[in-house]
Amino acid sequence: MIDSDSVKNLAGHPFDRRDFLKVLGWGGAAAALSGCGNTSIEDGKETVVSYVEAKDYVIPGVAVYFNSTCAQCDAGCSITGKIREGRVLKLEGNPESPINKGRLCGLGQAAVQHHYNPDRVREPLLRNGDKGEAISWEKAYALINEKLAGVKGEEIALVSGDVSGHQKVLLGNYMDSLGSKNHFVYEAVSPAVVRAANLKFYGVEMPRYRIDKAKVVLSFGADFLGTWVSPVHFAQQYAAFRKGVDGQRGVLIQAESKMTLTGANADRWLAVRPGTEGILALGIINALGVATGDVAELVKDYDKVRVSRETGVEPSNIDKIAAILKLRSPSLVLVGSAAEGYQHGLQNAAAINLLNQVLGNVGKTIEAPVSVPFPQMAPAKGKTAALKDLNDDLAAGKYKVLFNVATNPVFTAPASYKFRDNMAKAGFKVAFAHYLDETALQADLVLPLDSEMEDWGTHVPEYLADTVQINIQQPLMERLHANTRGFGDILLALVKQRRAEEYKAFDDYYGYLRSAVLQNKAALGGAGSDDDTFWNDTLSNGIVKLSGASGALSLKVDVSGLKLPTPKEIDEQYPMNLIPAVTSNLRDGRHTNQPWIQESPDPLTTIVWDSWVEMHPKMALQLGIVEGDIVKVTSKTGSVSAQVYLFPGIHPDAVSIPIGRGHDAMGRYAKGYGVNPFEIMDAVFESATGELAMHETRVNITKTGQRVIVVKDEGPAGGRQMGRKIAARMSTDQVDLSKEV
Amino acid sequence: MHRYLYFPVMLAGFLMAIGCYAATDQQPTLTTEDDLGPQIQQPIEFPHYRHAGNRNTVDLTNSDPTKGGMEINCQYCHTYARRSLTAGIPPLQKCVGCHQNIPSVRDKPRIVELFKYWDAKKAIPWKKVHDLPDFVRFNHERHIKRFIEQQGRPVQEVCGYCHGQVKEMTTARRQKPITMGWCVSCHMKEHVVVVANKDGIPEGGTPLGKQAYWYTFQKPAETKNAAGELTAKGPNDCWLCHK
Repeated sequence: MIDSDSVKNLAGHPFDRRDFLKVLGWGGAAAALSGCGNTSIEDGKETVVSYVEAKDYVIPGVAVYFNSTCAQCDAGCSITGKIREGRVLKLEGNPESPINKGRLCGLGQAAVQHHYNPDRVREPLLRNGDKGEAISWEKAYALINEKLAGVKGEEIALVSGDVSGHQKVLLGNYMDSLGSKNHFVYEAVSPAVVRAANLKFYGVEMPRYRIDKAKVVLSFGADFLGTWVSPVHFAQQYAAFRKGVDGQRGVLIQAESKMTLTGANADRWLAVRPGTEGILALGIINALGVATGDVAELVKDYDKVRVSRETGVEPSNIDKIAAILKLRSPSLVLVGSAAEGYQHGLQNAAAINLLNQVLGNVGKTIEAPVSVPFPQMAPAKGKTAALKDLNDDLAAGKYKVLFNVATNPVFTAPASYKFRDNMAKAGFKVAFAHYLDETALQADLVLPLDSEMEDWGTHVPEYLADTVQINIQQPLMERLHANTRGFGDILLALVKQRRAEEYKAFDDYYGYLRSAVLQNKAALGGAGSDDDTFWNDTLSNGIVKLSGASGALSLKVDVSGLKLPTPKEIDEQYPMNLIPAVTSNLRDGRHTNQPWIQESPDPLTTIVWDSWVEMHPKMALQLGIVEGDIVKVTSKTGSVSAQVYLFPGIHPDAVSIPIGRGHDAMGRYAKGYGVNPFEIMDAVFESATGELAMHETRVNITKTGQRVIVVKDEGPAGGRQMGRKIAARMSTDQVDLSKEV
Repeated sequence: MHRYLYFPVMLAGFLMAIGCYAATDQQPTLTTEDDLGPQIQQPIEFPHYRHAGNRNTVDLTNSDPTKGGMEINCQYCHTYARRSLTAGIPPLQKCVGCHQNIPSVRDKPRIVELFKYWDAKKAIPWKKVHDLPDFVRFNHERHIKRFIEQQGRPVQEVCGYCHGQVKEMTTARRQKPITMGWCVSCHMKEHVVVVANKDGIPEGGTPLGKQAYWYTFQKPAETKNAAGELTAKGPNDCWLCHK
């Protein structure tokens, strides 16, 4: 018997886990062997419902597959959904898409949890005090019409995430019918500064990068394997790059202040002092010694000693990088979010792009993009500057009606914007929402959207891998909830309120989409085939591929105005740089309520279900902090507290908190997990583009005295598992393999 | 670790084992004896014997429902069984497809009930008769391919291996234990091996050759048995059912 005494003994001498499991295992096995009843058998209890009328292709137990488009991020990967008995079970990449070539990332896989999420909004909700009251769609539409009556166009605003394809056309027409030009396209995480720098140096916002053609890739904080632009596509290019051109395995060098997934894969990872990426690029140009004219003039002061002092990168490393870039051509230099998030972000990005020009990579590993033949369908690209403008306007009380779709500005606006309060100044706020997220909670009217697996649409990705492609989004199954509506359907109903005559031919968005596609049948490559055949083929392929002309890139090198500030002195009060990390699981936090996203370990730290403050062990030692300490991270704007994770892959002067957690709404899987770094982000802006300089926040760290065990996958560092040391800490040359075997 | 704790935990395990053993009946002698399941109330008392039962040789018009069936092939209605893991239940459309052309029974209560569902376009909430635990994946298609298509055995006999004499039942009732031991008892039997004929189709018995092994049949014994037959066992890989 286990009496109270032995329990006490147990507490004193922990019951060894291994022994316990062993004994429990034997006991359990004995129980199982006797055949302890088949409790899961449901003869006569469970109902089997047959079809009333079955489609020919429906066989219970046999899956059918439909092609559609992933909507988890803006990369525009094509997907194939496995559907059994009318329910979507699993998503895979569509091999026909040049972007993802049959692959799909973890975020894409989790999309089924978006569709089946129990916290989806199911009825149109009208604010009644603090509560949302379910109303009918007729009433919702009538209410919008009523609220818009007598409101001038300039008093109406719409904030959306990236939008493209026919939804964008319809959205544009609706705003047009309202006489409003206030469409704010906002993405919390977008390469807007890089686009501006690209425009300056290549003549296009987003060229095609050919990692697969490069022999060396030098990436300044571009996490192209995890989060940057089109990660699934780049991961495949990366595989080809590592296989090598002419038998030479590609070399990846990553320079950044906080290690990203790409950085973890690099052959050489350089910890750069935050904000000095551009200086390092100029230092490398100097070390290359091939620049002439203006460029040589610009970089002449950036000698190794100075660059090393300012960036923290050793002179020998600068030499090595210059040497390998000289030795192997073509190379490719990438500039990512880590370099652009400063006041001088554009200058940083420009200096890095200049390196590409000097190395002669433009035209070789940086190619001109194809242009989309239907410019009205090309994506509207989100910027953080848009939110600033919207916020200023809202603060000034300019808007009476505000529409919100596919973005969550209340969650991702820096606290100093006071966006929540400013949003309240808009008279009537309509949110198109899947969930009651932070922004939807502030709305007066919430319109529940179909999931991407129930809805129709077309998408044109910003980054086109090969040819122009228009991606088809189609329902993979019937609506789960009777009262949700497609985004296009709602738009069509709204635009009909204004332009009934123009849109009367379309009963629903499907009809609109079909007729819009068939109208341009010839241009979409369907000349000669009849309507039904072409439409069915289009849906079955899930992609319309078009040949688009690709222009030439500008080779002009203009370094006028390129000036990098010397690194700031360390602020005594706020000595550390805050790096709000974009992780491949969470991105900007719009998918945090998908449990797979929460529970899949962060690729670098393996932490699940919580936020962390990533810190260099050296700095932690100085501050007397160990892993699991709860620290308070304070900026000028505010403070958050989270557990510390010690990680050598970060510059000692920096701390990092991942973006995406810390929701105070958005359902059971998101609410209350972790902290939101936007809450302490200072409102500092990139000086040329007006984008939010996300890496400019300075913080200090104080211990709170609490300590927790960090929940992570990796186990205690160098620790023991099952009483046995599993990984000895020694360098590889000391390992005697004969003993190990 | 307190060594004495082994004992109570082990004891608890054994007690559970004995308790469970006592609670379940003695397993039936495998493959032969029937193990009748519960009689399950269905929304419509579907007469299997009328549809699949043997023809009444005396009354060829088949007019007396108590005296004979129509010998309809099981697969005529259960079409999914040969195409899928799961046999499924025939769609309502299937019943109505025939019955709308059989005016003679249109006013019988069960048919009236059937058409009520059809008119409302509502599915009939049948109750499950044969259920397996969720961790078992029994494949109907494979068994039909093997016994009916490959070996050409009669359909009712093959379905009956597991489902019993459904052609004599009204609503189906489980007749076999459908436990793992029962399944394995057939899979572990020594089946006579027959070499494929010139068309590659074996005439009864376990086929020999590449395809058979691909279906994870075990290799036949080296030597013939006393009756001069070469025998082999059926597939016995765990993962066949426990994926």
